[in-house]
Amino acid sequence: MSLDRGSEAGPLASEESRRSFLGKFASVVFAGLVAPAVLGDTEPVRAGPAAQAEGLVPVVELPEPVEGEHPVQRMMEDLQRALQKPVEQRKWAMVIDLRKCTGCNGCNVACITENKLPPGVTYRPVMTETHGTYPNVARRFVPRPCMQCEDPPCVPVCPVHATWKRADGIVVIDYDQCIGCRYCITACPYSARSFDSGYFYGDFEGGERQPYELLPSPEYGENRTRADGGSPIGNARKCHFCLHRIERGELPACTLSCMGRATYFGDMNDPKSLVSELIGQPNVMRLKEDMGTDPKVFYLV
Amino acid sequence: MKPAEKILWVVAVVGFLIGLVGLVQRITGGHTVAAYNTYVPWGLWVAAYAMLIGVSVGAYLIVALAYGFRLKALQPLGRVALLTALSALAGGLLAIWLDLGHPARFFKLFFSTNVTSVMGVMAWLYVIYGVLLLVLIYLTQREVETGVVRTLSLLGLILVVIFGGAEGSLFGVVGAQALWESGLTPILFLVEGALSGAALVLFLAVLLGRLEADAGQLLRWLVLGLLLGLVVLEWAEFSTALYAGIPARSESLRVILFGPFWWVFWFVHVGLGLLIPLLLLIFAGRSRAGLATAGGLIALAAISTKLNLVIPALVVPEFEGLKTAFTGLGLTFDYFPTLTEWLLMVWVVSLAALIFLAGYRLLKPLASHGG
Repeated sequence: MSLDRGSEAGPLASEESRRSFLGKFASVVFAGLVAPAVLGDTEPVRAGPAAQAEGLVPVVELPEPVEGEHPVQRMMEDLQRALQKPVEQRKWAMVIDLRKCTGCNGCNVACITENKLPPGVTYRPVMTETHGTYPNVARRFVPRPCMQCEDPPCVPVCPVHATWKRADGIVVIDYDQCIGCRYCITACPYSARSFDSGYFYGDFEGGERQPYELLPSPEYGENRTRADGGSPIGNARKCHFCLHRIERGELPACTLSCMGRATYFGDMNDPKSLVSELIGQPNVMRLKEDMGTDPKVFYLV
Repeated sequence: MKPAEKILWVVAVVGFLIGLVGLVQRITGGHTVAAYNTYVPWGLWVAAYAMLIGVSVGAYLIVALAYGFRLKALQPLGRVALLTALSALAGGLLAIWLDLGHPARFFKLFFSTNVTSVMGVMAWLYVIYGVLLLVLIYLTQREVETGVVRTLSLLGLILVVIFGGAEGSLFGVVGAQALWESGLTPILFLVEGALSGAALVLFLAVLLGRLEADAGQLLRWLVLGLLLGLVVLEWAEFSTALYAGIPARSESLRVILFGPFWWVFWFVHVGLGLLIPLLLLIFAGRSRAGLATAGGLIALAAISTKLNLVIPALVVPEFEGLKTAFTGLGLTFDYFPTLTEWLLMVWVVSLAALIFLAGYRLLKPLASHGG
């Protein structure tokens, strides 16, 4: 019936009435939001004792996500403990709690920023999975870094020994050895390898390369710049758990940047580490376990 | 020079000149001029490489039959077949060399060979095969004693079967790609290669006026047999996989049969590459025009089988969510070759044709070995 009226009155009249309705609706919502504050109908936010003592702006204290020590602090201690051991006694692993991942892509952005990744290269896309049909719909977000497989299918296919699994389990690429055949990319069951075609963001932003694209990438501690057209342009590239950060005692960029504290990193050979504790839980799964690749990225579901 | 040979020269030179644009773009633009990317890392150039190597395998089959098994009827075609095998090998290697991210590092394939990689082993097999072809051309030109040529031809046949199969294994061992990972893949490569190579030799032999009646009939039945063999193998591959319905595999087959480029399978492969040649070979197999058309169509459509192997496997995402996870330039599961990719392929094939034609002009017809 309303459609008929709209068509009789013409599109302009219809647009006018919609605007009028939205305007009134917004006014009511806004009034509802600000009225309690104006009328003093709210409790003041409680500040922590330290903040009150120093006269700082009061903030709500966030709940501790994990009992005991803060997970970042604990992961840092795990990392330091692992680095004291010989490299072959470490086994780096990542745990991603899918119940906590909000799909914010913060890890992806942190990874791009850390490794100065160009267009067309991604180490940690966050996949969105939707299950069910309305009204019974569930959605979850699945970050997909390199699985750092124990038996990586990408390694034996490389014709020139340009990629291998390190003693600590991280699969790496020698950019100077890689000939860019891309066989390893086809062999990865997780699509976790990228090809650096040589794109620059600036090429699509007026043709000028942006300053941030000229910065060296700290990958593998080599500080390469792509501006000269050399490697890693033309190479296969992949997530390496921010090896350059690990080796200086820092957590991978994705782990540190995760605002939902959904990503954990550490040495799975260390029974005291947080990741070992999490991997031991019964709700752990890994992607494509049937492929026999034995991934070292675990998901909590 | 016969009119048909002149036409071949003109076509090859025109293709070479037009294709040069693609080469220049590839050199100046790197890989940004191509549509292959992170998710579809192989494209038209890999398909062209696989197709040309297959043609070389098939052409060598004629060499082995002529010189190794001493089929007198085919001996006049020995020079054509040898040159076809050599030029197709050169074209295939050129295509894959230009496809490399770092072509200047190709030498690492020989100095740092990983023997667990089929590709690493293939690099050496290509060199051995290339040298063998050059030696065979030299020996047949020098009218060397036929026993040596025979032995080498037969040894070469073993080599060709190994590396022709290994070419298929390069795809067949990739467990991540359900469409490729099959024991049938190397066999398919051998049969497809034998078919396309033999068909091209048949086409060229008619055009260059070197096809005698008995050789024509021998090649007719050989090509027909290979064609029917391929139909059986493809039926086995498609029917079992579709019946089993395992998504990773059947989805790629669905892309081949009913995807955006369904016409490549139905029109180019089945129509031009199988059905019309089959009818021509059966009903017009006694006429040279019929044989030439059948051979030419099979050779022309050979690229479709390789395109339908390489691309449908890669355009099906490993995870459905990857399609939309992080998109943009170089992060898409859609692939269609760019104009540059087509032009470069035209250049490579034209160059291979020019190598063949130049060789055909320079080498003398063989007296003791025929052709």
